[in-house]
Amino acid sequence: MENSKFMQLLENILLPIADKLNNNRYLSALRDGFMVALPLIIFGSIFVVIANFPFLDSVMSENAFARYQEALGPASASTLSIMGLFVIIGIGYKLIEHYKGEAIYGGVVAVAAFIILTPQVLEGVAGVIPASALGAQGMFLGIFTAFISAELYRFFVQKNWMIKMPAGVPGAVSKSFSALLPIAFTLSVFLLVRILMSFTPFETVQNFIYTVVQEPLTQLGSGLPATIIAVLLIQVFWFFGLHGQIIVNSVFDPIWYSLNEQNLSAFQAGAELPNIITKQFIDSFLVGMGGSGMTLAVIILIILIGRSRQLKEIGKLGGPPGVFNVNEPIIFGLPIIMNPLVLIPWLIAPVVVTVITYVSMSTGLVPKPAGIIVPWTTPPLLSGFLATGNAWQGAVLQAFNLFVVMIIWWPFLKILDKNYYETEKSGEETKAS
Amino acid sequence: MKHILLACSSGMSTSMLVTKMEETASEKGIEVKIWAVAQDKAFMELGKADVLLIGPQMRFLKKKFEKAADEEGIPVDVIDPVAYGRLDGEAVLEKALSLLS
Repeated sequence: MENSKFMQLLENILLPIADKLNNNRYLSALRDGFMVALPLIIFGSIFVVIANFPFLDSVMSENAFARYQEALGPASASTLSIMGLFVIIGIGYKLIEHYKGEAIYGGVVAVAAFIILTPQVLEGVAGVIPASALGAQGMFLGIFTAFISAELYRFFVQKNWMIKMPAGVPGAVSKSFSALLPIAFTLSVFLLVRILMSFTPFETVQNFIYTVVQEPLTQLGSGLPATIIAVLLIQVFWFFGLHGQIIVNSVFDPIWYSLNEQNLSAFQAGAELPNIITKQFIDSFLVGMGGSGMTLAVIILIILIGRSRQLKEIGKLGGPPGVFNVNEPIIFGLPIIMNPLVLIPWLIAPVVVTVITYVSMSTGLVPKPAGIIVPWTTPPLLSGFLATGNAWQGAVLQAFNLFVVMIIWWPFLKILDKNYYETEKSGEETKAS
Repeated sequence: MKHILLACSSGMSTSMLVTKMEETASEKGIEVKIWAVAQDKAFMELGKADVLLIGPQMRFLKKKFEKAADEEGIPVDVIDPVAYGRLDGEAVLEKALSLLS
């Protein structure tokens, strides 16, 4: 009973954290903003995969292959490479929607504010916006700009600094006029910030945020220790039956997506990939193995060694969704939540897999993630292949990792199975007598 | 006709439960419309529902949903974790109906 008191205590600590993180309006706008960008990102990713099909470069002539890639290029250039832009629109929109204002103005004012802060000169040519500024490089600036511009816009709307149209003017007309002054004030603030920043050594706000915030944070997030902490947090939240991925993502997504973008541009340029830890490292090699905690391995193990009816039933229920990385049946059914017997493999296995994956990529055994966003419901093996830019080594690594997870789980699942089996047997005996 | 809305992180795991609940309902001859959505879509769907049930892994959102559901005047509850894990359509359907009565 000591045990359950301790569990209760932990639950009392974790639930408010999850509550704070998810009900925080900025973090939920951030999460929703990425959701807005997701369909576009996946569209672009599909075309990066098609453009880089294996062996194509050996069947086609060099010239034809280059033209083939060039023809498909705009699909990712217009979506994946400038994803920051969609995230910004999403955040601005969702924040103003939260305040029950005209959401679309939240979106457009955020974009305009962001463009104001973006340098518009590239290699001496004026009037161009570097695509990189709209992608990974501008991600953090974009997020801050969207928060601040939406807040300013709301502030001016609430102050009622608006031009009021007399009744009888059509709704759309009066709306566009009522948005005029709040937008004008908001954007003036950003213009002023841009001008002031031009007198500092950083010269542009983009540069300032990139150097002071983004680079240190992504540097930290690209390392193994931070990733292990994130992975452990996901596992601990899930142990208490809380959706760990969604909670941790709301903090780590900006970092993971930025790292992803850097790899994508390197991949498309044919250069060496800079990062191992990326969005895809997490989504395909950790979550994409049957769901958080690599539960597909647990299901395979149940099918192989399960004797008790309860486990067999869970294997049947959890199998089909598990292939597509949906694992609620097994998390709540095994159960994994609040089950001290499985706590050790639940925490250890993902960390071991993280280390194996990291090392096999850093030593060059397996190619690093290519920056392609593979939908998280893509079955393992296929997702590993796609995420590494169509490399078979990615699929082999996933298969190997599944095997490792099975070995870690084996003794613990054996005990659990034996417990269930004996309870079931003694239950039948009492019924019979 | 009762309208039962289920919500989880992306509407995937609750949609499996929907199928099970519909099976039970048609066996018992209860007329219901049951559908599952991702949690961020649930607010928009609230108006069409008579009751909202949320997946246990999203229970930290209960407060937020309660506020919105109060405005619509519909009950909200968290699905029992054991019933959720077993995809026990009967138990969840019963819970939904008991919240409505």
